[in-house]
Amino acid sequence: MLSNPLALIAEITHRCPLHCVYCSNPIELASANAELPTNDWLRVFSEAATLGVLHVHLTGGEPLARTDLHDLIAGAHHAGLYTNLITSGIGLSRERLKELVDTDLDHIQLSFQDSGEAQANWIAGTKSHAHKVELAGWIKEHRIAFTANLVVHRQNLDHLEEMISFLEKLRPDRIEIAHTQYYGWALKNRAALMPTRAQVDNAVKIVASAAERLKGKIRIDSVVADYYARYPKPCMGGWGRQLMLIDPAGRALPCHAAAVIPGLTFDNVRERSLEWIWRESGAFQKFRGESWMPEPCRSCDRRTEDFGGCRCQALLLTADASATDPACSLAPSHPVIELARLEVPIDTVPPQGDWIYRANPK
Amino acid sequence: MASPQDSSKPKLATGCRWGGAESARVVLFPEGAIRVQGTGRRILELCDGERTFSELIVQLQQEYSEADAIVIRADACRFLEQLHTKRIVDF
Repeated sequence: MLSNPLALIAEITHRCPLHCVYCSNPIELASANAELPTNDWLRVFSEAATLGVLHVHLTGGEPLARTDLHDLIAGAHHAGLYTNLITSGIGLSRERLKELVDTDLDHIQLSFQDSGEAQANWIAGTKSHAHKVELAGWIKEHRIAFTANLVVHRQNLDHLEEMISFLEKLRPDRIEIAHTQYYGWALKNRAALMPTRAQVDNAVKIVASAAERLKGKIRIDSVVADYYARYPKPCMGGWGRQLMLIDPAGRALPCHAAAVIPGLTFDNVRERSLEWIWRESGAFQKFRGESWMPEPCRSCDRRTEDFGGCRCQALLLTADASATDPACSLAPSHPVIELARLEVPIDTVPPQGDWIYRANPK
Repeated sequence: MASPQDSSKPKLATGCRWGGAESARVVLFPEGAIRVQGTGRRILELCDGERTFSELIVQLQQEYSEADAIVIRADACRFLEQLHTKRIVDF
């Protein structure tokens, strides 16, 4: 029996003032003039709540780029959804923050790229760090859940302890240490971003130690680097199982990268209800359940834990979206991951103009 | 691990609130939700930030009068400690 989705990822725009090299938005960014209008989003939120969705994640690009963000948050809240704003903070003045808090925004997740200003601005390709620090101070003037999110990779993992210490001083309720995942722009920059095994192992210890030290004060969550794992991640909690993503043009996708998979037709919320899409959309059916699984997944005991890993990763690295996720040590294509690991340089010399900054949509 | 004291006034932490249908109540928090039912639900309902922990225990002991009063206190204490670690409850 098909269970209902728990979370809606509302990717309301691909416009963004930053150009982070690790961005997981698709290379094919949605054009600004194709964005779904306010009323369509409000209807989507209402349908989501009826479908049993609990959380909406307002994200992008940079959600603050939408001038109707205040109305969207108010609408989502009115529909009964828990509202999470995933933001770089660029475009958020003290006054605008107060307006959003006054619409009963439940949670704000603010991204940081590094602890040092020069380094952070270099990774983001934009002068942004100082504003984020100031914004964190304003956030603490309000009663709202606050997560500080830090994306980690080879260029900053060597000073992870210092970065955690920096984040603690901002007094968030939660810290998220997110290992870069290789989709979209991050995949283009993988050669510069992929950490060494030593960096990943060390990061695990550092985060565990910080979690113990901060117990009861700050919650630390970490998203792992599956390139160094034995088994794949349970991507999205399974294809079409817990999450739905609506992209800026209104296309309903099972995840943020799914548009890379050829042969899938994505239905649009302008034409179909969320309930119809969840139950009937071909794209959502495609990798649901186990009937699509090849061996070794099909008879593997872990298939109910990791749901066969990531389809988009299988497509990006093996050209076959049905293949066993190469991140799995049991995958026939696993050598592709082993090769990527071998290509990581021993020293962590930063790239000199070798990486690609995330572009603006047309 | 921090424990609630008799004079503590437990309440849901910042950003945590109730959600879900009446028959399937959940506590929502950043990036997650927990289903609560039975005694767990009742304990959290009593965590209103006004009632002290000792008042909460007295209330539970009245409502669950067939259970051992000392066990109720121990279980409620442990439950709240766990939720405190997850940053769902403050006291």
